[in-house]
Amino acid sequence: MDGSSFMEGLFISLEPMNILWIIIGGFLGTIVGMLPGLGPATAVAVLIPVTFGMEPVSAIILMAAIYYGAMYGGSRSSILINTPGDGSAIAATFDGYPMAQKGQAGEALAISAVASFIGGLIAVVGFIFLAEPLANFALEFGPAEYFLLMLLTLSAIVALSIGKMVKGFLAMMLGLTLSTIGIDTQTGVYRFTMGIPHLSEGIDFLIVIIGVYAIGEVLYNLLTIDQEKKEKKKVGKVWFTKEQWKRSKWPILRSGPIGFLIGVLPGAGGSIASMISYTTEKQISKKPEEFGEGAPEGLAAPESANNAASVGAMIPLLTMGIPGSGTTAVMLGALIMLGLRPGPLLFEQQPETAWALVNSMFIGNIALIIINILLVGLLVKILDTPAKVLYPIIVLLAFIGTYTLSYSTIDFFLLLIFGFFGLFLKVMDFPLAPLVLALIVGGEMEQNFRKALLSSDGSLDIFFSSGVSIVLVILTVVSLLYPLIFKFFKRRNLANKTDKISKSS
Amino acid sequence: MKKFGMIAILLLLLIMTACSSGASSGDEYPSKNLEIVAPASPGGGWDLTARSVENVLSGQKLVEENINVVNKPGGGGEVGWKYLESKDSHSLAINSSLVLTNNLLGQSEMTYEGFTPIATLATEWQSLAVPPDSEYESAKELLEAIKEDPASIKIGVGPGLGNDDHLSLVQAASEFGIDPSQMNFLVYEGGGDVVTALLGGHVDAVTTSLSEVKDQYLADKLNILAVSSDKPVEGIEDVPTWTDQGIDLVFPHWRGIMGPPDMTEEEIAYWDEKLSEMVETEEWQKVLENNDWEGFYKNSEETKAFMDEQHNLYKSLIEDSGLVK
Repeated sequence: MDGSSFMEGLFISLEPMNILWIIIGGFLGTIVGMLPGLGPATAVAVLIPVTFGMEPVSAIILMAAIYYGAMYGGSRSSILINTPGDGSAIAATFDGYPMAQKGQAGEALAISAVASFIGGLIAVVGFIFLAEPLANFALEFGPAEYFLLMLLTLSAIVALSIGKMVKGFLAMMLGLTLSTIGIDTQTGVYRFTMGIPHLSEGIDFLIVIIGVYAIGEVLYNLLTIDQEKKEKKKVGKVWFTKEQWKRSKWPILRSGPIGFLIGVLPGAGGSIASMISYTTEKQISKKPEEFGEGAPEGLAAPESANNAASVGAMIPLLTMGIPGSGTTAVMLGALIMLGLRPGPLLFEQQPETAWALVNSMFIGNIALIIINILLVGLLVKILDTPAKVLYPIIVLLAFIGTYTLSYSTIDFFLLLIFGFFGLFLKVMDFPLAPLVLALIVGGEMEQNFRKALLSSDGSLDIFFSSGVSIVLVILTVVSLLYPLIFKFFKRRNLANKTDKISKSS
Repeated sequence: MKKFGMIAILLLLLIMTACSSGASSGDEYPSKNLEIVAPASPGGGWDLTARSVENVLSGQKLVEENINVVNKPGGGGEVGWKYLESKDSHSLAINSSLVLTNNLLGQSEMTYEGFTPIATLATEWQSLAVPPDSEYESAKELLEAIKEDPASIKIGVGPGLGNDDHLSLVQAASEFGIDPSQMNFLVYEGGGDVVTALLGGHVDAVTTSLSEVKDQYLADKLNILAVSSDKPVEGIEDVPTWTDQGIDLVFPHWRGIMGPPDMTEEEIAYWDEKLSEMVETEEWQKVLENNDWEGFYKNSEETKAFMDEQHNLYKSLIEDSGLVK
């Protein structure tokens, strides 16, 4: 690290105009993150014409603020209406929504904001000291390692589906099947596109998220609307309790670094980071049975991880010019237009720009926690909104969000299909996350598996050939066997207890 | 309430017909807002080309009418160009060699002849790169090794076979007497992923746009064995071209702009005038520089001849590559 450029960057990021951009970007990001379908990638893309007239350094600061701002925002709708705004906010529905249903919406919103904040800070500090070595570490990840990382992510489905394992796996298989739709990159063959050019790039997982969660949720509530109790839902306090903080503290601190590391890997990103941190916490928790029922740590962990991942994703972008996610890809395009070329020469030729961005992320996270805590009081009012007002708005937003994905009305049909499909899954009590998760990682997982085998001439040894891959294999196996281990210990505990009881008697 | 809805719809229809009849009534072209279709998502190469053209034409007041950039992503340009097919002459679309290869690869029914060529705007060059510690120090050495055992050299390419990255190396290999269908290509998601794979040592060589590897080369992170330009490229003059190494190959990765079928001569002449002015502006030069593009302007007539010539080239390359049987 180079001290004087760091200070110079700090001063640039503290210029009033840039602070204003940080706040605007963070606020915009929070809003688009909240709305289903409208993600940071869309927001950054829409802003490209605006950035034409800006200083390149302000442009990159603004775009980054939108990106991590969306990580804060994404979980708002997960918690309040069980509808994730983006792939990385799916994990926030697992415990965030149950918390809201228990009347702890305010606490849930507050703790997720704090978790995002701490995760972000951990990642920015990591960025300052570890950018270079981590960029090199990310290069170690070849097709075999990526395949195994995605396999590990899918093994999370086991942890998620305890109690309804068969349904969880069925949903996952469906997701994997859907992910094969589209052009096969290795051979250029079209699979299951039914002659529709629109399908050649596959089904956008965001449509499926919006469909099964947002539309599905609305339809489901329409079915049950008559049974709904008329009593007003409680929203709880706007700050969390000491007990909740005590339970979340360590998960937040553990998940930040996990998310950061995964974010550094090009192509992995927030969805995988939040999923892996969620299952990690569930598996090491002393009370895993509370996960999914509104455990604060089950919300705090993925929130810390996905925000850290968004900061981590800046590392390959800035040090190698390689976008690690959809949003950073759009950022790269926009920055090149402005004559700022992120890449190996950026830290040599324009170190102050790079450090201005890093410092702006510090300021941005501080601004965002203030924005989001202030918003808690306002957002919980959504729960008071009568269904006849709220549901049409959700449906409208779902359609708008879907349209912005590829400006095509064909997606509306897909949205409705998946909406009804989501309703079906809900009625049949299938978990939704395995379906979406498998769709998110499925395509890449398959391509990486085949690339790995192509480069090893078909030998499976490649999956055990590096330290990283062996660690990933072990983690996956542990994760898969975890329910058995869990049962075993539970039984032993039970046996011990009965032993004691029988002894004492 | 229903009645009101009907009236509103009728009114809307009326206005719409009024507008469209206004457009076709022999007024001076352009008679309404113009539209540039980017057949890709915002932020991609085609989108940036469209926005740059819009930015310079409007910013320099070369065109008075509003120009809107419309994104129609999907199917490697297919969706956007299909959309263009249905529009009148106030819409143009960005294109590249995909407008030829989609059809040649059997992925599309549309042909380039179904559109009106307007201009070729800019080009990038292709490059062949290896890790800095690679045992191959020249393109010839690498090609020799491929000739000996085509499957032994893993070559990264993205995002799909049949694109310029892939076909430029297919052409070089063919020139060298290698059967390209035997070569071992690993297909990555995009140019960035290809470079990551090379830096991490997961492939032996990559073929990609020069802009993806130029900075890495300047930072000594990799070595470029050949570029597909006709003369050395500014900033990296020490990198040899294919022709320098005795392989007869100049391969532009061009971007152009085209209109819907059946544009009139006046309409084409309008764009010839405006775009030839545009490419002379300082702002356009800045766009080229920022994107590492090279000026490659050809007017409508030259572009028509160029497309025919490119069509024949791609046809034979795709046959050589073994992608289509």
